[in-house]
Amino acid sequence: MNVDQLADQLRRDPMFMENVVRWEVIPARPAQYAPYPQGLDQRLLPVLQKRGIHQLYSHQAHAVQEVLAGRDVVVVTPTASGKTMCYNLPVLSSILQNEDARALYLFPTKALSADQVSELYELIEEMGVGIKTYTYDGDTPGAARKAVRQAGHIVVTNPDMLHSGILPHHTKWVKLFENLKYIVIDEIHTYRGVFGSNLANVLRRLLRLCDFYGSKPQFILCSATIANPQELAELLTGRSVTMIDDNGAPMGQRHFVFYNPPVINRQLGIRKGVIPETREIAGMLLKNGIQTITFARSRLVVEVMTKYLKDIVRDPLGNAGRVRGYRGGYLPTQRREIERGLRAGQIDAVVSTNALELGIDIGALDACVLCGYPGTIASAWQQAGRAGRRKGTSIVFYVASSAAIDQYIVSHPDYFLHQSPENALLNPDNLYILLSHFKCAAFELPFEDGDSFGNAPGTEELLDYLDESHILRHVDGRYHWSSEDFPASEISLRSAASENFVIIDITDPAHHRVIGEMDRYTVPMLLHENAIYMHEAQQYQVEKLDFDACKAFIRQVDTGYYTDANLNISLSLLDIEKQDEAENGVGRALGEVKVTTLVTMFKKIRFDTHENLGFGHVRLPEMDMHTTAMWWTLPESICARYENDELKNGMLAVANLLRIVAPLYLMCAPQDVAVQYQVKSPMTDKPTVILYDNCPGGVGLAHKAYGMQQMLLEKALQIAQDCTCSQGCPSCAGPIGEIGENGKKTAMALLKELIR
Amino acid sequence: MNLRDKLKAVSASGKPAAPPPKQFTDCWQRTEKRDVQDFPHAFEVQRKTVMLMQGEEMPEDFDIRRVLFLDTETTGFMGAGTVAFLIGVGWLTDEGFTVRQYLMRDYPEEKYQLERLVDDLTRFDVICTFNGRSFDVPLLKDRFLMNRMRTTCLDKPHIDLLHIARRVWKLRLKKCNLGHLEEAVLGICRVGDIPGADVPQRFFSYLKTGQFCLLNEVIEHNAQDIASLCVLLGHMAHMYEHPEEARHGEDVFSMGVALERMKHPEEARRCYRLAMHGSMRTQGQLRLAVSYRRAGDRAQAKEIWQAMVIRHEGGVTPYIELAKHYEHIEKDIPSALEMTRRALMLLAEPTLFDDEAVQETRNAVQYRYDRLKSRLAKKEQ
Repeated sequence: MNVDQLADQLRRDPMFMENVVRWEVIPARPAQYAPYPQGLDQRLLPVLQKRGIHQLYSHQAHAVQEVLAGRDVVVVTPTASGKTMCYNLPVLSSILQNEDARALYLFPTKALSADQVSELYELIEEMGVGIKTYTYDGDTPGAARKAVRQAGHIVVTNPDMLHSGILPHHTKWVKLFENLKYIVIDEIHTYRGVFGSNLANVLRRLLRLCDFYGSKPQFILCSATIANPQELAELLTGRSVTMIDDNGAPMGQRHFVFYNPPVINRQLGIRKGVIPETREIAGMLLKNGIQTITFARSRLVVEVMTKYLKDIVRDPLGNAGRVRGYRGGYLPTQRREIERGLRAGQIDAVVSTNALELGIDIGALDACVLCGYPGTIASAWQQAGRAGRRKGTSIVFYVASSAAIDQYIVSHPDYFLHQSPENALLNPDNLYILLSHFKCAAFELPFEDGDSFGNAPGTEELLDYLDESHILRHVDGRYHWSSEDFPASEISLRSAASENFVIIDITDPAHHRVIGEMDRYTVPMLLHENAIYMHEAQQYQVEKLDFDACKAFIRQVDTGYYTDANLNISLSLLDIEKQDEAENGVGRALGEVKVTTLVTMFKKIRFDTHENLGFGHVRLPEMDMHTTAMWWTLPESICARYENDELKNGMLAVANLLRIVAPLYLMCAPQDVAVQYQVKSPMTDKPTVILYDNCPGGVGLAHKAYGMQQMLLEKALQIAQDCTCSQGCPSCAGPIGEIGENGKKTAMALLKELIR
Repeated sequence: MNLRDKLKAVSASGKPAAPPPKQFTDCWQRTEKRDVQDFPHAFEVQRKTVMLMQGEEMPEDFDIRRVLFLDTETTGFMGAGTVAFLIGVGWLTDEGFTVRQYLMRDYPEEKYQLERLVDDLTRFDVICTFNGRSFDVPLLKDRFLMNRMRTTCLDKPHIDLLHIARRVWKLRLKKCNLGHLEEAVLGICRVGDIPGADVPQRFFSYLKTGQFCLLNEVIEHNAQDIASLCVLLGHMAHMYEHPEEARHGEDVFSMGVALERMKHPEEARRCYRLAMHGSMRTQGQLRLAVSYRRAGDRAQAKEIWQAMVIRHEGGVTPYIELAKHYEHIEKDIPSALEMTRRALMLLAEPTLFDDEAVQETRNAVQYRYDRLKSRLAKKEQ
């Protein structure tokens, strides 16, 4: 059955359609072409024609034109619109005309760089010219590095390698820096939060070195659809940038189905689970031979879902290679193999985390199932974009979970379809991040009096501070690096943690093998001792976690359950920036806090029924994070109206409601902002509800929330009022089992006080 | 909190720095003469010996008095932020050995220090260092670049003693850093030396406090390193010239291996022969035989293997080599079979310590034996 037939059949199925809240048909869009821009090297044309490209899409031509005119550009287009041409054409054209010219390509991951190089290779090979393109990352063999440094026209790398492998050793890259003409950064929408703030500073360092070597590179940036691509591009590069968003690529017809699992307990507001429902839909697509990608929110769900789908197609020998899982933590070779299998059509179904959301080439698939809302509109469109060919129909199912944000989206499909996607926020001047990069920059090249660092504020103060700390030495008008350390090794661009943990399978005592890795912050949740760790649907039990050596030892097991860890969070006050008090005594403040996280226990949950089988304890060290926060405090006069438990439940419900509205109206991903409550707050000595940036130093969300707190509180109250449940449900204030019988009522009363 | 207080909260601050010198017009320098007697064999160093040791071309008019010995003390290991705060050079004249050191007392003096190095380098034909190819020279090139000085003065023929020393002493001494070689080979004993790992911290402490005496040990350490380079070069050249004077079988054997790799088979065989009289007796003979075989002198090789068989030396290897020899060179299958049979017998002797390697050898010999046997059977048919 093809997608059109399947869509027809489903629409005639009343059982299925009962749960469909919206069936949106996005019509096909024809291509818009434009002639080859003037100034593009003529040698490129025959090669393009050979690949069947006789004219450029309007956005490609526009981008090439602007770049050749010397402007910095950001190209904003959806998945599969041929955006790579927007940078490959001007770069190749420039190198053809001046063989000394150099270009630097930055991709967020190694996987993406590998993909890009192979595409570039093909173009260059067909032209039969000596343009050398090399990948330079952790996998580049030592012997090849010298050639890359000296002869590479196009160097393809990632921000981490640029930060620690290239910039601190710039003297080995003289040719590149002296002749750098283009800096190409793809997928810039991934550079938000900490990663983006770090990259902006890495680019400040890069431009500083270019200045030293006398080159003036141009930026070509590409972004998926987000609310503020131009602002993001300008924050990252510190320059004003021309935006190109006149997408001319064609697109086939698309069905977008909003599916809400049926309510099975109306009183408690409980719906059928998102996992079994997704299993049904993905299974149906699989049985009909429609190539499908299923996106799940967590690594755990990916593994569970992969197991379910494999069970459908398992042959008598137990093989189920047509169904694969895909997520961070798989080794690169395994990932490449899965990507190839998808392109070649050997894999019918893949279940992935957002790892496949980025522009890795897996070809276009016929169908996409979103198992729960991915958290942001931008991300949902990116994932949905994995299904959709230039010709022919594709279909996307969004299966809502009972999480509040999911229920909000599925009951407001228009919000999703018409709301502009999220802002990518970043704060290049986050003090922690800035200070680290000042060290790196000074290591790379001494600062001179009056020097600036991009548009960073407080350069002189920071330099003097580092001088006083004996990290720099200010002498004769210059600040010299004056320490034995290698500052780049002290920062990890992606998180506050620097090193990853390796996961070692010790099932076979003679052959221990590394099967994956995981970042430090996720380890306590998924790799604590006795956790069930899933990898390609195989279950393992964690036997030993060596926290100091960053190693987890696991053994294959076959249990009927999986584990889920509980995270404890405590907060302490570092500094108050602003505060005020309303007439009714409600306090509001903005400042800096220390967030301490600790995993103390885990639950065992049975497969299929998802019932709780028991608990286990976890002994792991705490992790600290300094960040920005805003908080509300309740005065004694209001608290006195409630019993202790009642107040606690009401505050919990308020926090639940704020957790729903905050990401929607701050326009960020849910994991970027956290909301906590404390009935006896050690921070304020009063009952307190706290909203904070969920990354070290913060990226500005708490500041934004402080400025729009009235609106956040009103929206939170509105959700509670609009919800049809009487005493709370998972879609608003929280389930009764969690917030008690009066939780919702108390929350609404508290919110009204907070609003006054 | 203002920015300054925040910065203090982010990480702990230290005491204010000592005021730096005000005027920078030149770097600090020191010259020291050492007695020529402390450099035995140095004047014997000849072009051909150096080429033999390193396997690389040297200038036609090579003269030990035109070699500049070079060593640096640095603030770290890698990257553009590492500086060579002390650069020491040394050269030999008929009157003695001169050590000259250039120190930057603070960062602005670096350019003077580098300029003086350039002046010295232009007066010499060859550079001699210990690990300078991978460390000192690239680092100095970086420093020139950072100071916007374009110079080719470091692109000279380069004798890097680390690699030469490793080839000779790795087998016996395991560790081959300069300090260890001084003690074990040159008989130089340093008193109150500062460990290399402490050097950067000394320099930073000096910068903070301005107490020059903190650097005395570093300067002395560097001067001794440079002098040792010259002594070591003389010592090694002498060893290569007179392998018969070597006191350790391992050293002369290693020299043979090195010479063979540098394509000097005759000199290599001389070393192997000398090694036969010491602890490396077996390996020396085996190497010697293989070397003869490679040179096409099959008779000499055979003689050595036969002698080893008679004296029960070298385990099964000489039997196997002889078997190959009989089979492929003399086409004497019965003798080849006999040698293989005897090798099998030797291997069959029960031992408690049979490991995988022995097992593998046994399988290989058995395979050879079976193959030869069937070949012989075919021939007889």
